[in-house]
Amino acid sequence: MSDQDLIEKYNYDEFVPDKFMPWMRFAESPNLGETAPDFPLWHAETQEETSLSAIWKSNLYTIVEFGSFT
Amino acid sequence: MNKIADKYAADDVGSIFLYTHEAHPGEVMPELRSMEQKFEHALKLRDIYGVTRPILLDSLDGACHRRYGSMPNMTWIFNRSGTPIYKSDWSDANSVDNAIAYFLDVTKRRRNKERLAPFRVERLDYRNQDQEQFYAGLARNGPRAVTEFKDAF
Repeated sequence: MSDQDLIEKYNYDEFVPDKFMPWMRFAESPNLGETAPDFPLWHAETQEETSLSAIWKSNLYTIVEFGSFT
Repeated sequence: MNKIADKYAADDVGSIFLYTHEAHPGEVMPELRSMEQKFEHALKLRDIYGVTRPILLDSLDGACHRRYGSMPNMTWIFNRSGTPIYKSDWSDANSVDNAIAYFLDVTKRRRNKERLAPFRVERLDYRNQDQEQFYAGLARNGPRAVTEFKDAF
């Protein structure tokens, strides 16, 4: 799958099972108690790049809610 | 979830909202095709839904979101070492509140020199279902989002 295909499939254009169900992969997510994978992130207001690890290192515990407007 | 962030901020608990993809795209809030658009949608989330926590964006291809299971509204809790200690396939303030209270107590017990060893537990939590609010949210995305959700289930 090309990068552009991945972007279009991940950002599906309609909420139909064939398009959203393939992304429901919670059972394959990282295990608790093991080192978590790190990724770059961008601040919404400043557009500055940071990382998930920079976020979790900032506090004793960090709550991360995933979601969007819709 | 904003209230939970405020409640525990003084206990050195951070809280962010990680912007992923549009789960229910519609005419008003369509699917994402650029990072510029993703920044715009994130600021609309802040302004319209009143998210007071810092909002961070994942890449356009959802690399982080996909690696963590791609659920539309899940919550994870990490410790400072980068170890996930809680994951939930749906976000619920009561569940997160309960978990943070427990982990803060663990920290306190460790400071009191208790010897503690981690173990894994699975638990089924329960959340309120506010159908009226949910459909109002879908309608805000555009009429197509309402129709597609009804057709899907």
